[in-house]
Amino acid sequence: MDAQSRTPPLMAVALAFIAILWASPFLWLVTTAIDPKTTGSLDFPHALGPDNFIHALSGNSGLQLINSIVLSVGTATLTVIVCAAAAYPLSRLRLPGRNLLLWGLVLLRLLPATGVVVPLYFSALWLHVLNNFGVMLALTVLNLPFALLLLKNFFDTVPIELEEAAYVEGASLFQIITQILMPLSRSGLVVVWFFSFTGAWNEFLLPLIFSRTAAGFPMSVGLFSAFGQHGAVDYGFLAAYSMIYAAPAVLVYFLLRRNLNTGFAGVGVKG
Amino acid sequence: MASQTSPWLRSARAPMLIAMLPALLMIAVLIYLTGWAIAYSFTNLELTGVNSINWRWIGFDNYVRLFTRHGFLESLWVTVIFTFFSAIVGQSVFGFSLALALRPLYGVGRTLVEAALMLGWLLPDIVASFLWLAAVSSPGLLNALVLRPLGMQPIDLLAQYALPVVIIANVWKGTAWSYLLFSAALDSVPRDVMEAARVDGATGLQRIFLVVLPMIRAHIATNMLFITIWTFTYFTLIYSLTGGGPGTQTEVLSIFMYHQSFGVGKLGNGAAISVAMMLIVGVLSIFYLRQLKEPK
Repeated sequence: MDAQSRTPPLMAVALAFIAILWASPFLWLVTTAIDPKTTGSLDFPHALGPDNFIHALSGNSGLQLINSIVLSVGTATLTVIVCAAAAYPLSRLRLPGRNLLLWGLVLLRLLPATGVVVPLYFSALWLHVLNNFGVMLALTVLNLPFALLLLKNFFDTVPIELEEAAYVEGASLFQIITQILMPLSRSGLVVVWFFSFTGAWNEFLLPLIFSRTAAGFPMSVGLFSAFGQHGAVDYGFLAAYSMIYAAPAVLVYFLLRRNLNTGFAGVGVKG
Repeated sequence: MASQTSPWLRSARAPMLIAMLPALLMIAVLIYLTGWAIAYSFTNLELTGVNSINWRWIGFDNYVRLFTRHGFLESLWVTVIFTFFSAIVGQSVFGFSLALALRPLYGVGRTLVEAALMLGWLLPDIVASFLWLAAVSSPGLLNALVLRPLGMQPIDLLAQYALPVVIIANVWKGTAWSYLLFSAALDSVPRDVMEAARVDGATGLQRIFLVVLPMIRAHIATNMLFITIWTFTYFTLIYSLTGGGPGTQTEVLSIFMYHQSFGVGKLGNGAAISVAMMLIVGVLSIFYLRQLKEPK
């Protein structure tokens, strides 16, 4: 209360204004999506109904939702598995060339992904994976430096004594990984999974180059190609599609929020 | 660093080394692809036609072309303007100001402003792009709420002010990240230091510029490092809003690279643009990392 009263009223008004300004596109999005007779201008809904959402979930747009889910969950899970399997040994074992590898990762981390788009295209063409599976592989490779560094730093904060104790007690490698290591490093794994998931969910350039048919698009390219598809812009459909497309990204954030915060804190200790 | 003599690590060494293989393979692929991108930039490789099969090494021709032909330098300038205004002025300065203004606030007010910021950030790029496309169109939000009440005719803002619209859209989208980082940074400034400055008679502005900013120097450098790189190489929002147009008004380097590679089909030239982008980003990163390392 004491702190609250110190904010000058002018500042409070300015902040409220900024919040409204920032949120106004969402208001428009929601009122447009639930109004089957919308014209696209900000208005009270002429009618209420789920028609736009039904339209946005049928046919190709429904397939595009499935494509996006498969692509993003696949990329995130693959990234976590591949990176965790390498980050743990990197954290625990004193390997030759370990520092060189870590510094190499820092450098690779800084490279813009746009830089390798042309060779990625040719690799995918050569491997016959100019599709969402190719996008999944490419994104995993691109995610790797960041995810590996983050997880390595995270594993550094997990005490090795617990693993040793379990080993002395006769636990198998599999048991140590699933019973001790994974529960302890949950937050770190969640952070990496979240970043890879939202990264893949957002990704636009690679599917734009890799995907060939409307039924194969993920939602990013699907929404983009729907912008100009009709003579008059179908705002209701686009708004409903946008809401469906945005929902998982927002939802995943709020579901994992607690884990994300502890994950960041754990990473911050050494990173 | 764990002791090498631990029996647990000795027993798990072999499976651990095998588990590293997929990641090592992928790192090798990434390095290989980067090397490939650099190699392409010295060839006349094209997407289709004769030069897609019978390509030749042409030395530095692609790089010479960047500076002698129309396009690259103009695009670089657009990118610099876009990055400066949307990342440095917009996201960083505005994000910092918001973090400072919201610091004494608790409860509902702060949650509401934060939620509004976060929604923009969490939204997929293409959704943000659609929202802005609708907001700046002739019947859209901006015309209806701002221009028409002022007595002006509705105009197509994207056709007339493409670059400012793209910059503002990116500020709207990205400020949350800087805000979150600076909020955490401000929490790390000890309260007694601020109190001491206040007692010694420092004004509000002096406290910010002479006490707070030097103390969070490392946070500022980290923030700048990330948002400059992201903004400099940003593609999705700009491309989906304007496609680089009208004309080449919003053709930032990533879009220029895309057009040259997959539009015109000159992959060698596109690779040279990529390499130039990597070099610029590399120099910027080294600059910021040096700032990060210097003593407080």
